Amino acid sequence: MLSRDTKALAKSAQGTTRLSFAQAINSGLRQALELDAGVFVYGIGADGAAGIFGTTAGLVDTFGPKRVFDTPIAEAGLTALAAGAASTGLRPVLVHQRLDFMLYSVDQVVNWMAPWRFMSGGRAKMPVTIRAIIGKGWGQGPQHTKSLHAWFAHVPGLQVVMPGSPADAKGLLLSSIMSDDPTLFIEGRSLFSMQEEVPDAPYFIRLGEALVRRSGHDVTVVTMGSMVPLSLQAADTLAKSTISAEVLDLRSLMPLDVEAIIASVRKTGRLVVAEPGWRMYGAGAEIVATVAEALGKDIRSRPRRVTWPQSAVPTGSKLEEQFYPTSEDIVAACRASVTEELSEE
Amino acid sequence: MNDTPLRTRLRLYRMMYLIRRTEELLMAEYHPADEMRCPMHFCVGQEAMPAALAPVLRRDDVLMSHYRSHGYYLAKGAPLDAMVAEFYGKGTGANSGVAGSMELGSHDHNFYSGAIVGGSLFIPLGAAFSQKYRGVDDISVSVIGDGVFDEGITYEVFNLAALRHLPLLIICENNKYAAHTAIERRQAVTLLAERAKAFGLPIDKLDGNDAELLLRTLERLVPQIRAGKGPHFIEIATYRFCGHVGPGNDDSMGYRSADEVERWRARDPVVAMRKTLAGAVQPVELEQLERDVDAEVHDAIAKAKRADFADIRAIVANNWADEYAAVVDRFSSGVTPLFQAGQSEARPGPF
Repeated sequence: MLSRDTKALAKSAQGTTRLSFAQAINSGLRQALELDAGVFVYGIGADGAAGIFGTTAGLVDTFGPKRVFDTPIAEAGLTALAAGAASTGLRPVLVHQRLDFMLYSVDQVVNWMAPWRFMSGGRAKMPVTIRAIIGKGWGQGPQHTKSLHAWFAHVPGLQVVMPGSPADAKGLLLSSIMSDDPTLFIEGRSLFSMQEEVPDAPYFIRLGEALVRRSGHDVTVVTMGSMVPLSLQAADTLAKSTISAEVLDLRSLMPLDVEAIIASVRKTGRLVVAEPGWRMYGAGAEIVATVAEALGKDIRSRPRRVTWPQSAVPTGSKLEEQFYPTSEDIVAACRASVTEELSEE
Repeated sequence: MNDTPLRTRLRLYRMMYLIRRTEELLMAEYHPADEMRCPMHFCVGQEAMPAALAPVLRRDDVLMSHYRSHGYYLAKGAPLDAMVAEFYGKGTGANSGVAGSMELGSHDHNFYSGAIVGGSLFIPLGAAFSQKYRGVDDISVSVIGDGVFDEGITYEVFNLAALRHLPLLIICENNKYAAHTAIERRQAVTLLAERAKAFGLPIDKLDGNDAELLLRTLERLVPQIRAGKGPHFIEIATYRFCGHVGPGNDDSMGYRSADEVERWRARDPVVAMRKTLAGAVQPVELEQLERDVDAEVHDAIAKAKRADFADIRAIVANNWADEYAAVVDRFSSGVTPLFQAGQSEARPGPF
C-alpha cells in the first residue's frame, strides 16, 4: 500500500465496493492503521466482538492489542492520554459510542487540545481524532442523542467533521486522522446502515471543502451529517413540482467552506439550512449570518432553518418520530422560500 | 559525612540559586514597572525538587509541571532568556509571548505547564503512553500540587498509568495549600501518596527541601522507570515562602500562621544547600558563582525588555496547523463520492 504511486492508486481507485457507512468507517480505520504506525484506535468496546456497531470489528485481529484496545470508563483520562500521545508524535483515534459520554472530557478537549498549538507559539501539533456517535432512531433519549457540533466548532483550534455518506465517511475519516489538528468526527448512528459504492483504496477528502451533492437553481439547501440524505430526498420531491434545489453538503463545520456557501446562494438567491441539532446558536445561525454579511440584499427571500426543536430529545420512538425534522419539513421550508418574494424597499 | 560528589552538590546549588534569584529579581521588577502583564506564581521555597530533577532527565524525556513552573522549566534545560522574554510577552519568548507564566512551555525541550489544575498530571500520562508505544526508554515526569488531589481525573490517571504500566513518574509537591485553602479544609482524609498506592503505584514520601536526598532517590528510581518497571509516585513535603500569585506576600490574608511560615523558613532549601558547601568550597568561589548567576538573570531581564512583541496576525494564525501527514500526498484527493441521491435514511435496528 505504501509503495503505490499516485498513478497506480488512481487506477486501483477505480475499484469500489458497496459498503455500509459502518463498514466504510471500518475500512478507513484499517487503512489508517496500515498507513501510519503511530495510529492507534481505542475506546470502550473498541476490541469487542460487536466492534462499536461494526466500525472497529476485526481490527484487533489484524493489528493486535497494542494498537486496538478496550479501556476503562474514564473518558477524561482517555482523552488526556490522546492529548499527551499526540503531542509526542502519535495519531490517536478515540471512540465514544455516544457523544454525550465525551462531555466528561471537555476540559481535555477545550482547555488543552484546542489551544495546544497556539500556546506553543505555533510550534506544536495535536493530531487527535475523536469519533463521537450520535444516537437517533429506535429510541435513544436525552443522554444518547446530543449533537454538540456547534459547541465544538466554536472553539479555535478544533476541527469538526460531519460525514453524510459512506464514501465521505471513509475519505473524511482518513483525512481527520492524518490531519495535524485535533478533530471531532461526528457520526450519525442513523446513517450506519446506509450503503453506497466506496473506493477500495485509501483516499483523502480535504477538510473544509463542501460538496454540491445535487445541482439546482431555485434554492440552496446547506446541510451536514445525518440531514444530508433527508435533504436529497427533499430535493427529489421538490423536483416533481419543478422546484430545483441545490444541496450543499458541508462535510466539515470547521473548517467551513464559506466560499461554496456564498457561491451557491448567490446563484439561487435563496437559503435553507438543514441541521441535525438544536436551533439556537447552532451552525444554521452561523451560516445564515455568514450569507447575510456577504450578500446583504442580494438574496430573494428570507433564510430559513430546519433544525431540532430547542428541547432535550425524548426517548420513546413515537415521540422521537414527532421530534425530529423530516424531509417534508425541508420541502416545506424550500417551498416557502421559493414562494416568498422580498418586497422592493 | 557527605556521599554526594562535590561537583554534583555544586550543580544542585547553582540550579537552586538560579531559580531563587530569578524569582527574586522578577518579583522586584514586577511592580511598579508593570511590564510583565501575566499572572505569575513564584516558587520561592520550592527549589529543591527541580534542581534534583535537572541531572537525571534527558532532553527527550517529557516534563510537565503545574503553573508554579519556573524552576522546572529551567531544570529541563530550557533557556532562561526565552522564559523571561515570555513573561514580558515578547516575540522572543519561549511561546512567542502568548503563554506568559501560566502556560509556559518549551516544546523543543519537551517541557510544558498550564493553568488548569490537573493538566500537568494527565498530559504526561499520554506522553508516557507514547514513549512505551514507540519503544524508547524516555520517561515522562508529572509535577503536581496537593490541589490535584481535589480533582476527579487524578484517579483515572493513577488507574490508567498502573493498568498500562507506563513510564510515568508523578511528583506531588505537597505545600499544604491550594491557592489559599489549606488541605484540611479540602479533604476529609489528607493522606496523598497512600491514595496513589491504592491504585497500584509504588510510592516514596520525602523531605522536599533536601535536594541531596531527592537527587539520590531520583538516581535510583529514574533508571528503573526507563527500564520498564512502571510508574512511580513521590510525595514531597515542601512550602511556598512567597504568596500564591504575584510578587507580594499574602500572609495578611490569614490563611496560614506566622509560626508555620517561620518554621518552614528556618528550613530554607537554598540556605541549607549552601551550608553543605561552605566547608568544602572557598567562600570566594561560591560568591563568584552567585555573581555569575545574578548577572545572567539581570541580562535576561534587560534583553527581554529590549525585545519586540510578535505580530498579532502571525499569532492568531497559529490556532490550526492546517497540514496533513506526508503520507496524504501519496494518494489522490477529492474523490467524488458516488452518492445515491434519493436513498432513504437508514433505519437502525434495536441495540
